[in-house]
Amino acid sequence: MPLATKTLNLKDGQRAQRKTLITVAEWGESTNKKRQILGARTEDSSIELNPDIQTSTDILGITYTDVNKTEPQQSFDPFYVMGGSALAEYLTRAMLKNDIDAYANVFNIYIITAFINDGTSSSEPTKYYAVCHSGCSIIPTAIGGDSYTNLPIEVHYSNNITEGEVDKLSDDFVFSDGTT
Amino acid sequence: MDKNKAIIEYLFNCPVIANNPLFFNFAEAEDNNKQILTVANDKKINKPFIDGSVLKKFTFTIIDYRSVIYQALVNDPEHPNDYPNENVDEMMDVQGIIDWVTEQNDHDNLPNFGTDCVVEQIEALTDTPRLNGVDSSVSPNLAKYSVSIQVQYLDISKVLWNK
Repeated sequence: MPLATKTLNLKDGQRAQRKTLITVAEWGESTNKKRQILGARTEDSSIELNPDIQTSTDILGITYTDVNKTEPQQSFDPFYVMGGSALAEYLTRAMLKNDIDAYANVFNIYIITAFINDGTSSSEPTKYYAVCHSGCSIIPTAIGGDSYTNLPIEVHYSNNITEGEVDKLSDDFVFSDGTT
Repeated sequence: MDKNKAIIEYLFNCPVIANNPLFFNFAEAEDNNKQILTVANDKKINKPFIDGSVLKKFTFTIIDYRSVIYQALVNDPEHPNDYPNENVDEMMDVQGIIDWVTEQNDHDNLPNFGTDCVVEQIEALTDTPRLNGVDSSVSPNLAKYSVSIQVQYLDISKVLWNK
């Protein structure tokens, strides 16, 4: 279905639950791509746009705002090293070897909005609006903690964006861009 | 799966409990009787995560009734560090519940709360049993020991994402 048919699938006044804004990391060889949802055991995480803003006010007192660029970023702290987390293993190895190339500009990050979709009444399976940032960085900023090993990460989005949809909410989703 | 039933099934594996009458919430106070006492678990301590999972705690108390004896401890030079006394023995026996729970946790032998829950930890909330009081209206008098136990688990029933 075209992206334009997707709508905010919420009742009037209903707030979108946080779990419906999903961030998924993808990395690895094209024949062996790995994916992992980010945010397990994270209580709070937001995509910060970090806009570069320039403002000017004319002699009439009207203020104009120029947005020169944005540098979206999202932190996940804690990001625990947990069983089944391929990303935690990958980043731990990379950071301990100080292999910066292993985590700089090599990730595709999907932002999936499960609250914008085709609705459940259509005859086809529900598809969800999503964007993919190609060539992102996931930077481990520390490792350690108290009772459990924490590997806090920062996701730096590339802004190389493809708009599209995903066909399901699971690791094996298919992403289709908006032209199909 | 009902968590109370899961706990009952789990506790039947504890040697201190297995061979004695085990009651649920309502018990006859007799020597060696055990009682599971449910606790209203406060939802405010739940910790929600952004993927929809919620960290929860399930707490309950085990009451253990033991007969008491009014006998002074004797320091016998021929048997150092050995104070034959029923009260000491009973206390050590109740301590066995805490030690068993600790050992099971260390070996990742945890209660089964069903597929919607990932049980992470079980622990006694105190290192030693609590002595709540003595019932002197029965003969022999009964001591009431209690051990509070907490299960920490991740409720994944509301998670949207399938791995």
